[in-house]
Amino acid sequence: MYLYKKNGLELISFDPNKVQPYKTILIVEDEKSLREAIVDILHTKNFLSLEAKNGKEGVRVALSKHPDLILLDLIMPEMDGMIALKKIREDSWGATVPIIILTNLSATDEEFMNSTTAQKDTLYLIKSDWKIHDIVKKIGEVLRISNT
Amino acid sequence: MNKKTIISTTEDIIDNLKVLAIEKETVRRKLVLTANKLALTAEKLAITAEEKEVVRKKLATTAKEKEEVRRKLAVTAAKLALTAEKLALSAKEKESVRRRLVVTAAQLASTAEKLAATAKEKENVRKKLAVTAAKLAITAEKLAVTAAKLAITAEKLASTAKEKETVRRKLALTAAKLAITAEERENARRKLVVIAKEKENVRQKLVITAKEKELVRQKLVITAKKLKVAYKTMEQKVIDRTKSLEMVRAKEEAILMSIGDGLIATDENGVIILINKTAQQLLDKKSKEMIGKIFTEVVEMHDMKDTVLSADKHPISIALIEKRIVTTSAGSLYYERKNKTKLPLAIVATPVILDNKVIGAIKVFRDVTYEREIDKAKTEFVSLASHQLRTPLSAVNWYAEMLLAGDAGELNNKQKKYLDEVYKSNQRMVELVNALLDVSCLELGTFVIEPESTDILKLAHSVINEQQQEISRRKIVFSESINDTTPLIKADPKLLRMILQNILSNSIKYTQIGGKVSLSIAPEDTSNIIIKISDNGYGIPKNQQDKIFTKLFRADNVRDKDTDGTGLGLYIVKSVVENSGGKIWFKSSIDEKTKGTTFYVRLPINGDWK
Repeated sequence: MYLYKKNGLELISFDPNKVQPYKTILIVEDEKSLREAIVDILHTKNFLSLEAKNGKEGVRVALSKHPDLILLDLIMPEMDGMIALKKIREDSWGATVPIIILTNLSATDEEFMNSTTAQKDTLYLIKSDWKIHDIVKKIGEVLRISNT
Repeated sequence: MNKKTIISTTEDIIDNLKVLAIEKETVRRKLVLTANKLALTAEKLAITAEEKEVVRKKLATTAKEKEEVRRKLAVTAAKLALTAEKLALSAKEKESVRRRLVVTAAQLASTAEKLAATAKEKENVRKKLAVTAAKLAITAEKLAVTAAKLAITAEKLASTAKEKETVRRKLALTAAKLAITAEERENARRKLVVIAKEKENVRQKLVITAKEKELVRQKLVITAKKLKVAYKTMEQKVIDRTKSLEMVRAKEEAILMSIGDGLIATDENGVIILINKTAQQLLDKKSKEMIGKIFTEVVEMHDMKDTVLSADKHPISIALIEKRIVTTSAGSLYYERKNKTKLPLAIVATPVILDNKVIGAIKVFRDVTYEREIDKAKTEFVSLASHQLRTPLSAVNWYAEMLLAGDAGELNNKQKKYLDEVYKSNQRMVELVNALLDVSCLELGTFVIEPESTDILKLAHSVINEQQQEISRRKIVFSESINDTTPLIKADPKLLRMILQNILSNSIKYTQIGGKVSLSIAPEDTSNIIIKISDNGYGIPKNQQDKIFTKLFRADNVRDKDTDGTGLGLYIVKSVVENSGGKIWFKSSIDEKTKGTTFYVRLPINGDWK
């Protein structure tokens, strides 16, 4: 079992007996250092990963590869996370895919809260307040919930 | 060679070898020095290479920009060439028109020549006509002769007339006979004269009456003159009075018209009776378009959701109907100008009441575009700052965390210790950024407050759980007394959590290891609850107690003991508590016997969260 790391530049081998079945997480994040940190930690926890550098790319990858869960940043170039979220939710597959908003935008920002209240089921995590291991735990929880 | 010689030779050789060894050592040291220098040079070269790389990247960027500019220029050049072609085409068309005009001009010239020839021919005809006229004059003379001849013929006709006279006399005889009939007619005439005399009598009587009437008329004329004089005086008085009234009115109107805010006055039916200059400018409408019309029909207002306000929702309508002053918050309503730009307004509509009856309404409004822009800029700054400041902090957090967890291999104890310091410092930075963001949100009023029925007991337990690690670390003796009868309170859970979390963590942080901290929550009366958090910690010095709710203030005695802490916590707590209609106060002492601090927070059960 192989998994592509860093935009397909490096191959990492995996023990297929460790995790069954493999879950693919799409990370939509414009900040390279943060994206890579999450990809690295996901790989050590035997998740497969897909990456996108902005909302537009995120929507394209999500709708073509159908990941099991999406981590979505809000403030990004090209297309911001709110629009990406809306576009993914419009798709019949995307309507139910678990999405965790992982942002550094203050949750007290009125405009964004107003637009996210329509998505109360969507998790909203502040990056700087969350430990990276806890994020991975949260992903596990969400995936278990969405499996049942 | 005897033994002695061998020994001395050997000693010489050893000496030589020693010398050689020393020389070698010297050479080796020189080589090491040289190697170090080379290494330094290599580093410098590496740095230079990096700088060159940077320069190269910048040049590449510049080259790209130049390429971009060149492409734009090429596009512009192509457009210019097209324009030039079009111009050339139109020049050709102009040339052909010009040629046609030349031909037409030539044709006109020949027509003019032909006309000149025709004119000459006409002159000839005229001369011929003059000759003919002379001939006609001669013919006329001939006709005169003929006329004389005719006169002779007339005389002959006169003799015929005499014969006719005879006939006339015969006719006169007949007339005499007719005269007898005339006498009879005279009799009749005399009778008519008698009647006329009677009529004359009547006329004379009428004349007398007329004279009497004339007397009356003259009297009336005198009266009329008197009235005229009286009227003129009256008129002058009215003019004077009107003038002074007009002056007062004009002054008042000038005052109203010149008010810097928009002003519209209506009568009791909402019909506009006055609109000042600022209002005309703001609404981009002339006074004559508005006066005499119903306000709600000529001014369309929108709310922030872009829905058009129905007539009864206009502040001015509410003022008229409900007889009260209506004030709208800045920018909650806007007016769309003719050019479709939006004009956010702050409006005050006041009913005009005279003798307890609404006789109209006055609406004063101003443009709040600028205020709204500033508000927007502030909010944008906060969200930008929150995002920009937290991103690098998150990266440091996560990588440090992964290193500490051994995700990138085991660290030795010293490495772990150092990294732990990095992580903790970064964590403090995160807290500081969060606290600063809370402060700006509170100060800007951009906090989204969502009050709901909240179980404060559950919330308190969750906060205590969060602090458990710190309580154990500092070996704090913690006790809680939470009254089960405490009702659910109307509050925003995240702000309520902020209050509890800040005060409790302060108590733990500012109490010596092994100290005591206690928390109690209980209803105070039917409308309030009281939260009490006590410790026997360091206390707050008396001379600084009035400053502890001040932004960024930290008391001297804790500043020495603990570098952690932002100086924002209590400031935030006080704002939140007061925004919820509650109250916060404390008692504190640094006396060895009574030392410690107790914070009290009173919160209304039906919180009035703003």
